[in-house]
Amino acid sequence: MAGKIVVVTSGKGGVGKTTTVANLGTTLAKKKYNVVLIDTDIGLRNLDVVMGLENRIVYNLVDIIEGKCRKEQAMIRDRKLSNLCMIPAAQTREKNCITEEQMKELCSNLAAEFDYVFIDCPAGIEQGFKNAIAGADTAVVVTTPEVSAIRDADRVIGLLEAAMVRQISLIINRLNAKMVKRGDMMSTEDIISLLSVPLLGVVPESEEVVVSTNRGVPLVHDRSSKAGAAFRSMAARLDGETIPLDGNSQGIFGRMKRLIWN
Amino acid sequence: MLGILRRIWGDGASGQVARKRMQFVLMHDRIDITPEMMEALKNDMIKVLSRYMEVECGSVKVDLEQGKDFMALISNVQVKRVYRHST
Repeated sequence: MAGKIVVVTSGKGGVGKTTTVANLGTTLAKKKYNVVLIDTDIGLRNLDVVMGLENRIVYNLVDIIEGKCRKEQAMIRDRKLSNLCMIPAAQTREKNCITEEQMKELCSNLAAEFDYVFIDCPAGIEQGFKNAIAGADTAVVVTTPEVSAIRDADRVIGLLEAAMVRQISLIINRLNAKMVKRGDMMSTEDIISLLSVPLLGVVPESEEVVVSTNRGVPLVHDRSSKAGAAFRSMAARLDGETIPLDGNSQGIFGRMKRLIWN
Repeated sequence: MLGILRRIWGDGASGQVARKRMQFVLMHDRIDITPEMMEALKNDMIKVLSRYMEVECGSVKVDLEQGKDFMALISNVQVKRVYRHST
């Protein structure tokens, strides 16, 4: 059976697409799935540094598409997980040097070999975005609880629906529970009712994310991290498990519940 | 600092202010009606209303509002007089 092709997109830049790809992909690889991550942000590649694989790059996505190498040559194996690999973006080329048709073909070839193909989409809604979503059957839209990110997410959801991407779900990143409580941040419910797509999960705002990208080690490797736990439950939901959405809520009861359930 | 901002912008907590603003913005983005189209709609409405009554053209406002599960077109029109026999 062909694997799932998941595009992670947002419209707005800097909301956490690359972090999401790294963490969802790593979690599913830890569950023994064969996973490949593709960075489609040609000209502004970043997934390699977030994954800590920047000094192993020889070939890239554009080389595969232009036939300069076999796809296996451009896939970089993860340092910890042998069933996880990444295809880096080209750094010195432009987004329109590949076409939607070429991306579709590459994605379906990869889906024949891998259980999960994750596509890290560039910011914006131009050619790079169109290429990134061309081959995907599932979309994860990342937003933060800010007006600009939400507006862009809504635009992107409209474009995904128009492009017939069937399954769309939402990640709310960097939610600050204290600010929500104080009334100074839109709540999860507010955002869901605005965007009206199913919620995949909520990632609490956390300094751990910065630390993990500094080191180039995805957060989900750290068992004690709250944000990491949020990504783990989102990956499980993407994999079809049913995990209650308040599973990573704050407070002693939430924590006790988690202890008992895990 | 936040207190000062709150005083400037009125009392509501900023989260709810954001939610209400987004409801409005997203609705406009989704229906994709340009300001020019809204203006044309307004002028057409004035034209139709003028067959039955004399309206204060400068007073006409047309807005779209999002209810909980509906969208409403809300218009306020100042009527000067109603014609006895509609033309």
